[in-house]
Amino acid sequence: MATLDTATLTTIVNQCFANSMNNQFSLQDQNSFLVEGKRLRGQLLNLLSAQFNDGTPQLAAANTSLTKVNSDLGNSAAVLASTAATLNDIASLVSNLDKLLPLAASFV
Amino acid sequence: MKIQPRIIFSLSMGWVLLTGCLNNRYITPVTTFHSSTAQTISTISAFYSSRNAYEIQIYLAGVAADSTLAVGTTDASGQPTPLGQPVFSAASIKARLDALSVVATYASRLYDLANTSAPSDFATAGSALGSNLGSLDKTFQTLAGSKDPTANKYVGPISSLIGTIGQLYLNGKRDQMVKDAIQHGGQDVNTILSQIRDDMDNIFSAEIITGANEQLASAVVAYNKDRNGLSYDQRVARLAQIQGLAEAASSATASAPSHLVAAMLDANNALIKSASAPPNSKQSALATLNTALSEWISEIQTVSAEIKPLLK
Repeated sequence: MATLDTATLTTIVNQCFANSMNNQFSLQDQNSFLVEGKRLRGQLLNLLSAQFNDGTPQLAAANTSLTKVNSDLGNSAAVLASTAATLNDIASLVSNLDKLLPLAASFV
Repeated sequence: MKIQPRIIFSLSMGWVLLTGCLNNRYITPVTTFHSSTAQTISTISAFYSSRNAYEIQIYLAGVAADSTLAVGTTDASGQPTPLGQPVFSAASIKARLDALSVVATYASRLYDLANTSAPSDFATAGSALGSNLGSLDKTFQTLAGSKDPTANKYVGPISSLIGTIGQLYLNGKRDQMVKDAIQHGGQDVNTILSQIRDDMDNIFSAEIITGANEQLASAVVAYNKDRNGLSYDQRVARLAQIQGLAEAASSATASAPSHLVAAMLDANNALIKSASAPPNSKQSALATLNTALSEWISEIQTVSAEIKPLLK
């Protein structure tokens, strides 16, 4: 059985909330980070104990997406320079995770 | 000068250890184990039982902070909100609470064994206990076969522990019974507690840390949106609220009571070692047990205070 990288997802959720309180971003972008952070947290709580069959392609894609978004968020200068692109990547991640939950084989 | 409860406990343990060799050497540690188990389980049960209420509170605080958000059972994207569907299923919470109740029963039976010299009393109590445990075992078997697999991992150790508790009444030699119970049941207690500790570390720590950060971020973003329309007094009140949320967020890392479960595990391991120690190392094993019990009691006080904000 395989699992989602929930530790990285937790880091991303917390980084979204941190960015929503960072006044270097516009008020609108701060609000977007808050909204995405809330959605990701809801998905995190649903996926924390989910297990998937080995080789589930959607899981592999979601974990790859998590790694990329986390890496992007870690570079604060790049996020400030291309906030719209970062928020788009986060929105794509949210969409991928939405599709993942129904595929869970079990919850431990 | 205020005497610390730990010091009082250590002194009383020392006195009883000195006199205990003449009497029943298990009475004091098992009595402490029993009372500390009750306190620990009370704290952890309250924590588990309040998780969904905590999530509803976070959701409603977010709605309150943003006047553009309507409250509802489903959000704009079609996802159920904590008002519409519990974040943690009733079955998964019940499985954890039931596992804790088996551990509590184990501690109670040890206490009964160590504190009575009339084996006939055990038989009467054992008959009633047997019915209750049998019913609990069936609950877990049903849960394990249902769609909620959360209970699966608890079934093995619980069935085994129930077997040990039942055996406590079959032998009239008290000290040997206590020793056997600790050696056989203690490992199952460890297995159950390890799973509960892992739950705390892997699931509930993430819930609490991200929850505290969400509440803080919601309040900060709302303040920045609204501040031009707020009076001085309103701003002061909002900022005071943000200060409280910031303090909660910074202390959230250690809020899940996994330290308490870890302290209980240490004490249980020390109890097992004490029961199996050869005669030439009994004093050393009892001293280790004394220390573990003392640290556990201290942890109960600390954690009980720490998790109060999480019990909604």
